[in-house]
Amino acid sequence: MAETFGWAGKLLRVDLSTGSITTEDSAKYQEYIGGMGMAYRIMYDEAPMDLDPYDEKALVIFGVGPLTGSGVPCSGRMNITFRSTWSKGHSIVDAHMGGHIGPQLKYAGYDGIVVTGISAKPVYLKIEDDKVSLEDASAVWGKGTFESNAWLIEQTGREFEAASIGPAGENLMDYSTLNTSFGNAGGAGVGAALGNKKLKGIVIRGTGTVKVADPKKVLELSSYMMGNLIGGNNNHNVPALPQSWAEFSAVSGKNRWSGAPGRVWGHTPDGEEIDAGEQPYNDINKIAYRCLKGVFDFGEVASNYIIKSGGCQSCPIRCYTQYEIDPLAEYDLPIHNSNTCMPVLYGNYAYPGVELKDFKYEGDAKMVINLAWSHAVDDMGLWDNYGNINRDLKWFLSLPREEAVGYIGEEEYDSLPWDWMHDGDPRWEVEIIRRLAMGEGKLSVIAKGTLAMMEAFGLPKEWLDRADGTNSNLMYCGFPNHHGPAEAWQTGMLYNMFYNRDCMIHEIVCETGSGAPYEVTKKVMEDFFGEGCYDKSKAYTPINENKVKLAIYCAADKNFHDSSTLCNWMWPMTQSPSKERDYHGDLDLQADFMTAVTGKTYTQDDLQEFGKKILHMLRVMTAISFKLNCDSANLRTEHDAITGWVFDKEPDFKPFEEGTTKLDREDMKKAMDMMYTELGWDVETGIPTAETLKAYGLEDMAKDLADRGII
Amino acid sequence: MSEEKKGFDTKEVTRRQFLKISGVSLAGLVLSTPLLTLMGCTQKQVDEGEVMVWAMPQGLLVVNASRCVGCQRCELNCSLSNDGAASTFISRVKIQRKLNLDGAGNGLLSENPWLYFPDTCRQCEDPACGKVCPQQAIYADETTGVRKVDQEKCIGCGACVQACPWHMPTVNPETKKSSKCIACGACVAGCPSGALSIVDWDAVTSAAQDAYKDL
Repeated sequence: MAETFGWAGKLLRVDLSTGSITTEDSAKYQEYIGGMGMAYRIMYDEAPMDLDPYDEKALVIFGVGPLTGSGVPCSGRMNITFRSTWSKGHSIVDAHMGGHIGPQLKYAGYDGIVVTGISAKPVYLKIEDDKVSLEDASAVWGKGTFESNAWLIEQTGREFEAASIGPAGENLMDYSTLNTSFGNAGGAGVGAALGNKKLKGIVIRGTGTVKVADPKKVLELSSYMMGNLIGGNNNHNVPALPQSWAEFSAVSGKNRWSGAPGRVWGHTPDGEEIDAGEQPYNDINKIAYRCLKGVFDFGEVASNYIIKSGGCQSCPIRCYTQYEIDPLAEYDLPIHNSNTCMPVLYGNYAYPGVELKDFKYEGDAKMVINLAWSHAVDDMGLWDNYGNINRDLKWFLSLPREEAVGYIGEEEYDSLPWDWMHDGDPRWEVEIIRRLAMGEGKLSVIAKGTLAMMEAFGLPKEWLDRADGTNSNLMYCGFPNHHGPAEAWQTGMLYNMFYNRDCMIHEIVCETGSGAPYEVTKKVMEDFFGEGCYDKSKAYTPINENKVKLAIYCAADKNFHDSSTLCNWMWPMTQSPSKERDYHGDLDLQADFMTAVTGKTYTQDDLQEFGKKILHMLRVMTAISFKLNCDSANLRTEHDAITGWVFDKEPDFKPFEEGTTKLDREDMKKAMDMMYTELGWDVETGIPTAETLKAYGLEDMAKDLADRGII
Repeated sequence: MSEEKKGFDTKEVTRRQFLKISGVSLAGLVLSTPLLTLMGCTQKQVDEGEVMVWAMPQGLLVVNASRCVGCQRCELNCSLSNDGAASTFISRVKIQRKLNLDGAGNGLLSENPWLYFPDTCRQCEDPACGKVCPQQAIYADETTGVRKVDQEKCIGCGACVQACPWHMPTVNPETKKSSKCIACGACVAGCPSGALSIVDWDAVTSAAQDAYKDL
């Protein structure tokens, strides 16, 4: 194996049926970057969509990339590719996890792990450099992820990183995760994909290095990024509240750069508050105080429970507020809680119509309830499908008894501890989560997926068209909106169409939510992406070419991030907090890092082409899956069809009127025509043409689609 | 610290005073207000064992566990600066081993999950690593006094790793050579939370003298 920079150079292959563990040179996958791109090539070559997702030969592919663990800021992520069992078409999906385990895989010497087969008994995969073994995991089968991960590290050693599935994955609940560190998890049903294989977890220690071609340059670029470009969480580029050095603060007074003088880590062990203080944009040693996520999520009351902030390896932005929620001790629930995003946002949806009571401080009711939720779902390894589990639960729990019993029966309905719900008792949500994770009762079909629930409850397709506030599904595929039209006009609708789960694209919401004045951000966006690409909130304009190109850019960029691997919440560096830079970031920085780390020359245009290639591969596999499982490979009508509420909500407004984010049907038809054309996809079917696939070196996929009668 | 205040009249004396407590928690010591201000911590944090100091040539390295956010940028900056490659294992400042379960009831997966912090070489006056080295490869830098590993002499036997009470030297499995902290300060410069900071000796001495004058 020739010396390689960035990439570790080896791929680990594990067959759980035979116990075979081998390695192979990974160099041939460098043209797919790594992570997601590498996994898509392997999945296509070795586990065709014809396989059932739970087939013994089905693959789960863990992928890291050349930047993972390289010291590049915000590069601590790992991509996991497998087959969806819950979204329409049962096609290819990815889970994405942060924490610290991805870098350890690199340090152990691997760019990925390809797992096939099904073990006869529960096992865990132990990787210590080139010593790799399958070990008995019977002792933790059935246990929560926190206990399991601690056990895995106790069995192996303090320097190991662990990841494990919880009961939800073991019980093949489709909404399931793989959890690592504290609160870091990959979702999309990866828990069930691994549970089916009886693979409880992975534990990794690497004593090696990620070799970088130009270490001085990597350090120099890191300092440049941290002293000039990086903002707060989601790279929001102005502080939420005024700071003496800053020209602007958030227009609304709120964004994810929420650390400010007087806002504190207020529950430290010694009782001494740590004030977030001012964080001048060029002071590297104060960056970690910019994101005070707890205050962003719950207001000032959160400080009473905050001990510090955590997050992923290599990232200076600490978006995982770490709490001690002592009131939960009274309910015999864990008091140490940490997560970011979905698991801490919608636990209160399990209490519809209930006025939650404060626990210890005025205004703390929602945060205590939500953090109890986050620990319970993380422990059970239950995925939220970007809030669909909360929304579907809220819909069900809001039903009158006579209607609800029609779905789950009187006996089960009455077995629910409703008094706890009405009392705002956190044990209510924990019990609901337990039932969902264990697959207990008819209600647990909610954790099999929105589509499975609709089928079980006899809900028609039109259920996904409703505009009643509990529906976020942009298409009819079983996954919800992820920073779509409400924040990113037609562009957001378009980039939500590509994947077989919520799109996980943050390129636009990081700008619209940045807090900077609209005109400032608009100038940055138009300078980078062309005139007319950046609409004002609730004042949308008809589709144009630059909005379409921006949608494709976003998806290609996200694909590069999940391949290299970089955090898509922070990257790319679109805006900057620096007035001297006129708030412009540096879109070329990720390519410059690729060059410095790998020693090969990359441009941002190159990275876009890699990202588009992955988009084409995704589309090919999606088309094949839909042909096999939905009797139609017309992705325009079967996959990309938009639900009614997107156009019909807010009936007092017409599309493009000021005050609404609703879209227009004819305009979106035009937008889709333009997008398919721009991508080289057939306008009628939304499938890549043979010419397009050939242009990207995917001749084999073009032939496959032709052989299957799809193109 | 009150008994030692009279000794803080030159920075060399100050450094020697701190060498005696290098790498240990300051719990039990009463520090003057100027010194606490310099170190960016409070007496309560000192009392709770949240603050440790290391005597480095360029100043007092202060580790404030309350501020550590576990990002491992210290390890990455260390290994990139000193070894030209990114790693946690060969980093001369160490947090990976304390992050999840530190063996003393702390770490993300313990009952006390939010206590984790980096640890490094104490630059001992009488270093066990140096004494045990069969090659006499560990020497004190002439100008700074920092203990360094002579890469030419080192045979990678690992005796230094075992002899160090804190197992701070590390034999790089790829180069088969031992390395340890050389007090370069890369970890401090890149720490995004200021959990690691260096207070230069002149300032420490001055603060200690001010405190003495105030009495």
